[in-house]
Amino acid sequence: MYGNAYIDPNEKANSIVAGEDPEKLAEFEARISKGEKIEPKDWMPKEYRKQLIRMIEQHAHSEIIGALPEGTWITRAPGFQRKLALMAKVQDEVGHAQLLYSAAETLGKSREAMINDLITGKSKYSNVFNYPAFEWADACIIAWLIDAGAIINQVANAKGSYGPYCRALDRICTEESFHLKYGHDAVVTLATGTPYQRKMVQDALTRWWPPIMHFFGPSDKISQHTEILMKWKVKMASNDDMRQQYLNMYVPKIWDLGLTLPDPNLKKNEETGKWDYTEPDWEEFKRVINGDGPCNAERLAVRRNAEERGRWVREALKTADTKYIVPLA
Amino acid sequence: MNTPAIKELLYKMADDLLIIGHRHSEWTGLGPILEEDISFSSMAQDKIGQSQALFQLLHQLGEPDADTNAFTRNANQFYNAQFAELPNEEYDFSTVRHFLYDHADQLRFEMLAHSSYEPLAKLARKVKGELKYHVFHANTWMVKLAQGTEESKARMQTALSNAWNYALGMFEESKFEKELIAAKIFEGEAALKTKWIQAITPFIEKAGLKLPPEKEWNPVYGGRKNFHTEHLDPLVKEMGEVFRVEPASQW
Amino acid sequence: MIKSLDPRITRAEIELNNSIAPLEENDQWETYEVFHQKKRGDQHMHVGIVHAANPDMALLFAKEQYGRRGQSVNIWVVKTREVYTTDYEDSDIFDTVPEKMFREAGGYKVMEKINKYKKEHKI
Ligand SMILES: [Fe+2]
Ligand SMILES: [Fe+2]
Ligand SMILES: [Fe+2]
Repeated sequence: MYGNAYIDPNEKANSIVAGEDPEKLAEFEARISKGEKIEPKDWMPKEYRKQLIRMIEQHAHSEIIGALPEGTWITRAPGFQRKLALMAKVQDEVGHAQLLYSAAETLGKSREAMINDLITGKSKYSNVFNYPAFEWADACIIAWLIDAGAIINQVANAKGSYGPYCRALDRICTEESFHLKYGHDAVVTLATGTPYQRKMVQDALTRWWPPIMHFFGPSDKISQHTEILMKWKVKMASNDDMRQQYLNMYVPKIWDLGLTLPDPNLKKNEETGKWDYTEPDWEEFKRVINGDGPCNAERLAVRRNAEERGRWVREALKTADTKYIVPLA
Repeated sequence: MNTPAIKELLYKMADDLLIIGHRHSEWTGLGPILEEDISFSSMAQDKIGQSQALFQLLHQLGEPDADTNAFTRNANQFYNAQFAELPNEEYDFSTVRHFLYDHADQLRFEMLAHSSYEPLAKLARKVKGELKYHVFHANTWMVKLAQGTEESKARMQTALSNAWNYALGMFEESKFEKELIAAKIFEGEAALKTKWIQAITPFIEKAGLKLPPEKEWNPVYGGRKNFHTEHLDPLVKEMGEVFRVEPASQW
Repeated sequence: MIKSLDPRITRAEIELNNSIAPLEENDQWETYEVFHQKKRGDQHMHVGIVHAANPDMALLFAKEQYGRRGQSVNIWVVKTREVYTTDYEDSDIFDTVPEKMFREAGGYKVMEKINKYKKEHKI
């Protein structure tokens, strides 16, 4: 759900490419299978464009909305180092939104149109950001464990086929390594701190675990549509594979701190080499995606408010000769 | 070395930067457009970073460590000008304050680059580039917003008029003014104010804005002597809320 | 009115069901392509775009979006609409370039000739 293609399992392969010029389609697919990137003005199937816009746009929205749960603690971060680092981290997320909107723009959707779709609720963003950051430790857990998930997703997508998205993700991934280090450091500091601090971080971890398990989305249904998007290198890894990779990398690090995770079934299965876990509550996931999470309404109201407060500013600076064209790359 | 005089100078600068940087950071993630959100946040980080550096100088002079000093004092122990603590309101007032404050800040550090108190002179030379960017940014925004629409022009004029007497309060003199000047530590608030008026006037003219007539200038003093508006206390409590739970612990 | 965990949001007095007019065309101004030079002597490299209302602001924004980490000494911005480009569709105009060895240093193998001559003449 972070930046994943939306797949309708019932759609048939031939309907997906219906009406496309077979010669051009073959050329396009050959380019991708050679490992070459697609650039903005290249010919591309309609479905490719549509899925990429949807995916990159959702990713961009996730960054700008993602600035809000952590932003909750920006005025209260304890001490200079944390205050500076949190400001820089939230700033980076705003920067990521800027980079990703720019990449999506190259496919022909304006930033205005994307923002409009965000604030009216027409377009989605990552579900995790609909959960509240109750305490300082929640902001630390987000910085470590949500960004860790984002990195797995982004590293996979950076190997995709669309040039501008890959370039944006390369830049983003470099910054994410700071987020991860900062987040880990902040969590470790609390976990090795006073009993009060340790309890605070354990509580936050317990709160965030269900949304973390939701982060990569439900198991992919195998469909012709999925196969095509994988062939086109729009979808780069299955949701389950990413979740497994995540558990493999981070559960040991969490346990290493003596913290507990609220899932009695969570363990590495020695036979399969994979992690067993209690199936996340996908009904709740759907409910939250469809607007009924603890913070959905607030997040969108805040974005609308920010856009509205900025409107006179943007209007004042606009000149008569302003003429937007689609950015180049 | 006149330590009490130096400390007072450092405290007012450190507190101005901390409080105004904190106010700036309230825009992070909520700014008028993504690109400006990023730029404004960088300047907030610069200010808080400069403040930290000043608190570290204070620590070297025997004051508490930077975190304890910044995050556990009460509002009535702060030395910032009241100008710094006023709420952001909208982007008009935020921009005007950024413009008026950053010109003063740049000039103050420029003067201090030649201070006989070498640690401060060294810091002043180090942050020169940051301040130059802040002032570029402030000048551009001040002029462009004032030259924009009827609405923006009116907003900027109102914000400037409302800010003015508070801005003059930045130059409230210290009881150590003479010593600082004599010891060539700092050229003094009066000299700074004169330079500041010279620096901002061309931009205010270019922007088509008007300063209040001089006979109405009525500086809002008190901040340097720990007198503050009702806005500082909640700010300071909020800023220290987490830190104060375990002030002796690492965070 | 939203009572938020974020004190900034609570202070902003936001209605939960506020609604606003959609952003209009050009609300986000236009775009500038950004070129960044890491250090003196390097080429400027294209790094991305910024939305800006005028060139001065484009430079201010580009500095922070593309130069807030790592090394930088210089930035250029140019309005996207003032950049002229070739088409990817026409990238076949470059097709025979790799064969044009007469333009390449590697196309000239004098040492082979010299060595052959030396060997033949026992020099
Ligand atoms: Fe991000
Ligand atoms: Fe991200
Ligand atoms: Fe991040």
